[in-house]
Amino acid sequence: MTDSREKPGLQVSSHDTLNIGSTRVTRIVLWLGAITIVSFLIGFGILALSGELPQSKDQDFSPFRHTAFLSPGKTTVPLDGAGYGDVALTLGAGELRVQGGAPDDMLMDASIFSKAPEWEPELVQSVNGSRKTVALTDKGHKTKEWFSVDSPNSWTIALNNGVPVNLEVNVGAGDCRIDLDGMTLGSLDVHNGAGDTTITLGRSQNQPFDAVIRNGIGDLTLRVPRESNTRIRAVTGLGEISNNGLVQDGDIFVTAGFNPAIAVNEITLNQGVGSISLEAL
Amino acid sequence: MLQNEQEFVRILQNRLEGTLSPEELNDIISDYTEHFRIGKTEGRSEEDLFRSLGSPEDIAREIRATHLVKKAEDVRSCRNILHAVLATLGLGLFNLVFVLIPFILLVLLLFVIFVVGIAFMVCGPVAGIFALLQLAGIPVFAIWLSPAAGIFFSTGITTFGLLLVIGNYFLARFFYHIGIRYLKWNIGVITGTERLA
Repeated sequence: MTDSREKPGLQVSSHDTLNIGSTRVTRIVLWLGAITIVSFLIGFGILALSGELPQSKDQDFSPFRHTAFLSPGKTTVPLDGAGYGDVALTLGAGELRVQGGAPDDMLMDASIFSKAPEWEPELVQSVNGSRKTVALTDKGHKTKEWFSVDSPNSWTIALNNGVPVNLEVNVGAGDCRIDLDGMTLGSLDVHNGAGDTTITLGRSQNQPFDAVIRNGIGDLTLRVPRESNTRIRAVTGLGEISNNGLVQDGDIFVTAGFNPAIAVNEITLNQGVGSISLEAL
Repeated sequence: MLQNEQEFVRILQNRLEGTLSPEELNDIISDYTEHFRIGKTEGRSEEDLFRSLGSPEDIAREIRATHLVKKAEDVRSCRNILHAVLATLGLGLFNLVFVLIPFILLVLLLFVIFVVGIAFMVCGPVAGIFALLQLAGIPVFAIWLSPAAGIFFSTGITTFGLLLVIGNYFLARFFYHIGIRYLKWNIGVITGTERLA
């Protein structure tokens, strides 16, 4: 019975749908594989040479910028007619960037890049006369949050250019970039536990200020305007100090043409482990 | 309950029309007619012959499944393998588990690999363009930690996508081949079981 169902006549002519020789396909696949491997190796090599690879196993790695594919959570703080601003930023772990360029009626315009909602910082603000006080604080993570594990935590803070600001920055661990060009600074207090810190002071500063910068472990770069009247006292525990364009006297560095008789920008640097790079721009 | 040989042949013919070519159908009908003729010559009753053959519906399902699997083996196409699987499903309810679920899982796997491959092939060049624009100093397109590395990563992503699509093609061919063998084995097992019963 079974044989009768499989009689000749049921056969259908066959043909191959891919008319490429197997050798040629193998060659194409090998070439593609080689190009893929070499491309990734060169890509990782470039990142390694430029110091972008993670330093420890705990750090999540991606060749993309952390903020590339995230829509930031926006937090704005209106100026409310204040003539001065006190801004305190406390970030547990992550990347912090502070710069000018907030809208004229805003003291602060914060963009928080994070996939984890529990990483949203706490904002406290108040007005006392002509002074507006703002504190943006990372609340920390007390519970296990599955989505936090690989989530970047990156803050980009824009401050008002026209209003003098007393800026206090506390970062537990992470890189910190503060670009104050165009802003008017009342005072500056930066504390970074572990990570690289880069601070660029503004050229349009028209009043003297005091700054204290403490960096635990990591490299510290400070750029000051060449024409400013600035004195820097730099103390480092373990690491070198490189100087580009400043006049050195022991652990004191001053800008060229420094005059102690007029208003002076006083900056104190305390570095634990890591190099200090001073640059006059 | 079947009344006679003509009714048996009529049901078998109705069930197989449209699946088999007229020549193939005539061959099969001739075989069964001959089987009845020989059986009667040997003195067996029609009831006895019906009982030994089984129902014409079951026989038509077996022939249809065997034919479609053979066709799928000879001419590889999505349509043919789908028809073969559906015909095999008709042989028993348990084939929903033993044929349909593995078939759906394999199709899903191939589909996912294909989609991922295509996504890589599309995203790679786009990311490469972003790297070039980032290299040109346009900050809006700054998605890479290093644009120079981004160009190489983009190339790698694109070629990896191509590899996935090509690999998926050969994986599909492999699964097709294995699937045909499995369907044949499945039909054989079911046919053998019914004979025993």
